[in-house]
Amino acid sequence: MNTKPFTSGPGENAVMITRVADRQWHALDDDLVVGRAHAQHRPDGRLFVSIDAWHDATFDRLAEAMLAQLPSPLYTVVDEADAALTSGWRRAGFTVRRREWEYTVPTDPQVTGLGAVRPPADVTIVPAGQADEALLRAVDRAIRDEVEASVGWQSMPAEVISFPEGDTIVDPSKYAVAAAPDRYLGLIRVVTAKRPRIGLLAVRASDQRRGIARALLAHALESLHRSGAAAAWTEVQESNRAATALFGNSGAQPISSNLELVR
Amino acid sequence: MTKNKNVIEVEGRVVECLRSAMFTVELDNGHQVLAHISGKIRKHYIKIMLEDRVLVELPPYDLARGRIVFRYRN
Repeated sequence: MNTKPFTSGPGENAVMITRVADRQWHALDDDLVVGRAHAQHRPDGRLFVSIDAWHDATFDRLAEAMLAQLPSPLYTVVDEADAALTSGWRRAGFTVRRREWEYTVPTDPQVTGLGAVRPPADVTIVPAGQADEALLRAVDRAIRDEVEASVGWQSMPAEVISFPEGDTIVDPSKYAVAAAPDRYLGLIRVVTAKRPRIGLLAVRASDQRRGIARALLAHALESLHRSGAAAAWTEVQESNRAATALFGNSGAQPISSNLELVR
Repeated sequence: MTKNKNVIEVEGRVVECLRSAMFTVELDNGHQVLAHISGKIRKHYIKIMLEDRVLVELPPYDLARGRIVFRYRN
């Protein structure tokens, strides 16, 4: 571990960058911490970094020190509206890898236009709290395997959290599912803390383009509307055209965007 | 190792969500600061909302600014 402080050169202020732990750096100005840098592996193995600094010059110094000691590729996440932070990472050589929109989704069927939406004839929607747990875990596992076999699910915010191996469903009561007679075909997870959040909406690859996701969304939003929630929120990756169209055609409005940057 | 963190941390409540990923936080002493969220919070996709109770780190030279470093569970 490198704990040797250094400065960029004579004539600059006395900010010193010190590696205080394996993946943590501090910027010190006269023994005051004026900036921090941190790196952390996500469960998918990617290394994410962050820097908090009060001044651009300190940000740049921390980035220089940290990036020199970490392997590539490195990732970070910024709010696109945070121009100062975004430009700091660009100065450090990071480029945009993907953009994710945060949407607010109305629940009123008069607004969403989903009031008359029904699932396909051979499919029923099982409300949250009534799904068979074994079948629920089976469809969740199957969809995850399908995704991992193609593009992977690195973009899922929830994947930041490390669960016990093989367990990806924390609370089965939060899931409504689309059911065929012999198995589940899709699922939607809505968790309400201060406001309802649609954290997952997915359908088996073999059953996509049948209107199942739309029926699940219609069901979830109608349930929220009945419970008095005027809106939910969710995040959608910009490149996911199907999800973007689904939410866009349901009255959802983008309210902010996050950028995942890579170097 | 850094022996002295020397950071000022104060609890407060989010009273306004602004554009540009900024928030107005009313500290427990009644003082208001313009705060952004820390990189760790951003990395973990923790959402800051109106009325959230938060821990704010203040810079040593400018007590009108802040950085939200923790969101308390209600």
